[in-house]
Amino acid sequence: MGALSIRNVKKSFGNTHILKGIDLEIEKGQFLILVGPSGCGKSTLLNMIAGLDDITSGEIAIGDRVVNKLSPKDRDIAMVFQSYALYPNMTVRKNIAFGLDIRKVPKPEQEEIIARVAKTLQIEHLLDRKPMQLSGGQRQRVAMGRALARNPTLFLFDEPLSNLDAKLRVEMRSEIKLLHQRLGTTIVYVTHDQIEAMTLGDRIAVMKDGEVRQFGSPQQIYDAPADLYVAGFIGSPSMNFIPVQLREEDGHAVVELDNGRAVQKVRLSPISDSQRAFVGKQVVLGIRPEQLTDPESAHSEHGNLQTLQATVAITEPTGPDTLVTVTFNGIKTVARCHPRAAGAPGQQVELTLDPTKALLFDPTSEKRLA
Amino acid sequence: MADYQQSLQAKLIRFGIYAVLVLMALWYLAPLYVMLSTSFKTLDEIRAGNLLSLPGTFSLDAWSAAWSTACTGVECGGMKSYFANSLKMMIPAVLISTLVGAFNGYILSMWRFKGSDMFFMALLIGTFLPFQVVILPMAQVLGWLQLENSTGRLVLVHVIYGLQFTTLFFRNYYVTVPGELVKAARIDGAGFFRIFFKILLPISVPTIMVCLIWQTTQIWNDYLFGVVFSSGEGQPMTVALNNLVNTSTGVKQYNVDMAAAIIAALPTLLVYMVGGKYFVRGLTAGAVKG
Repeated sequence: MGALSIRNVKKSFGNTHILKGIDLEIEKGQFLILVGPSGCGKSTLLNMIAGLDDITSGEIAIGDRVVNKLSPKDRDIAMVFQSYALYPNMTVRKNIAFGLDIRKVPKPEQEEIIARVAKTLQIEHLLDRKPMQLSGGQRQRVAMGRALARNPTLFLFDEPLSNLDAKLRVEMRSEIKLLHQRLGTTIVYVTHDQIEAMTLGDRIAVMKDGEVRQFGSPQQIYDAPADLYVAGFIGSPSMNFIPVQLREEDGHAVVELDNGRAVQKVRLSPISDSQRAFVGKQVVLGIRPEQLTDPESAHSEHGNLQTLQATVAITEPTGPDTLVTVTFNGIKTVARCHPRAAGAPGQQVELTLDPTKALLFDPTSEKRLA
Repeated sequence: MADYQQSLQAKLIRFGIYAVLVLMALWYLAPLYVMLSTSFKTLDEIRAGNLLSLPGTFSLDAWSAAWSTACTGVECGGMKSYFANSLKMMIPAVLISTLVGAFNGYILSMWRFKGSDMFFMALLIGTFLPFQVVILPMAQVLGWLQLENSTGRLVLVHVIYGLQFTTLFFRNYYVTVPGELVKAARIDGAGFFRIFFKILLPISVPTIMVCLIWQTTQIWNDYLFGVVFSSGEGQPMTVALNNLVNTSTGVKQYNVDMAAAIIAALPTLLVYMVGGKYFVRGLTAGAVKG
């Protein structure tokens, strides 16, 4: 029995279908990320879990309780909002106590809870201030404190870091992760930021247009994306997609890459049955920038790295590595190289490609050819 | 040299601007000055004289006459009972219309229902209806209700007529309040009324002030509803003032008229002085992101 089960949940307004049948299940203590572009339905799904939006059809269960008909306060959840939603007229202490008051928790016990939560989040010195007098990061902590005070079975986070500046966001991100590890609570976390999704999640559901495109662990989603959308959404800089014609040689998938001067043959992994069906047809070759790199930085578990020649169009130093843009089959392709081996625009560079990590996609259905 | 010329020119322009502003201020203050100085003069002095001169002998007789002995028609009890009438009408009408308006605004912004926007539009049209249009149907409704008491009738009329304004003010304020606040409160377990009284109403002080000032001014200054829907001893201040000034028997007592008019205007002046800064703040609330 999972901590949260979402079974064929749909949401429609008239003929507009916001969610088209979502199935997700997580275990107690897991950190679930709902990630996707704006308008994909991730916040709607979160609101439905919270009970703030009605469910058109399907079933949501928290623990072993179906909560479809329960009001938010009876679902044993707590939620942290993007705007923090602190009550502006109350001090931090009262903000945290508000929910406890309504639940008729006795005063001495309230004091204990507030003290514990304040200590956990290091907001003891802020308890008598009003939200107006707090900085963004402090408000964020208070909002989490309010959620923690209730000690619910399920925490819901709705893009909690979006309003913070970049540095604070990274800090709070690792703090949320630490908090989760320490408290072992079950969390559902909505974000549009794929880096947050990768760093925080135990399980990630990548959503688009009201559907879950892929549900799995961060590494699964990164290494074996289900389709072109997921492959392009997760990872920064995003995966290169190069149109190629698929051939088979000695049981291996083989494609050709044209760098503008010469056509180079690339030998990929042993061909699978689903790939064999596309032999002689156009497919999309997906390579992440770090799998296309200079020979010095390259490494592979299998050793059969493929070497390619290419002409540098642009170089973008990021510090630790330099992003080198080259052209294959007329498509701009980004390689992640060691700064020393990056070359200069117009120069020829040698790149190596890790064939075990290269992916092939069906260009019409956009599914990965496993 | 050029700098000097430019600064002289700038100074001249500035002087011109201030001169115009001072003149305008004097122009607008002149009636108030005439009213005040006349109210402190004796009748003899008024007859003798210069409208703009200061009172020679400072006399409060006109004020006490206006307050307690002046004749409005056949009654000669001054303005005091009508002043009380107006207060008895204004205070409940202002409080009720403000509270109900806040409640309406809360529902129309945070608990939208099917057709709530239509409802709000209809309410908005209400703000454009002139008093005259309302009189006949209102008289009919008051007849059906068989509400005899003048003050009670006026309270009802002013609450109903004021609701569209107070609702508009509160609704426009509450749409700027993030809806997540209500969601958070719902998850905390707060219900419909608790969210309103514990969270939204306490943060609406500027809007409450706007409504109080607006409604106080509207209701206190209203003449038309007062003259139509009240009678005799139940009439509000404005109607009594009209009766006092238009009493055609005897000598025209300008000093008493002026004193009575100032008494009639005092409460609204007071409200503006106390709450004026909130008024501007409330009207612009949400217009600029704080």
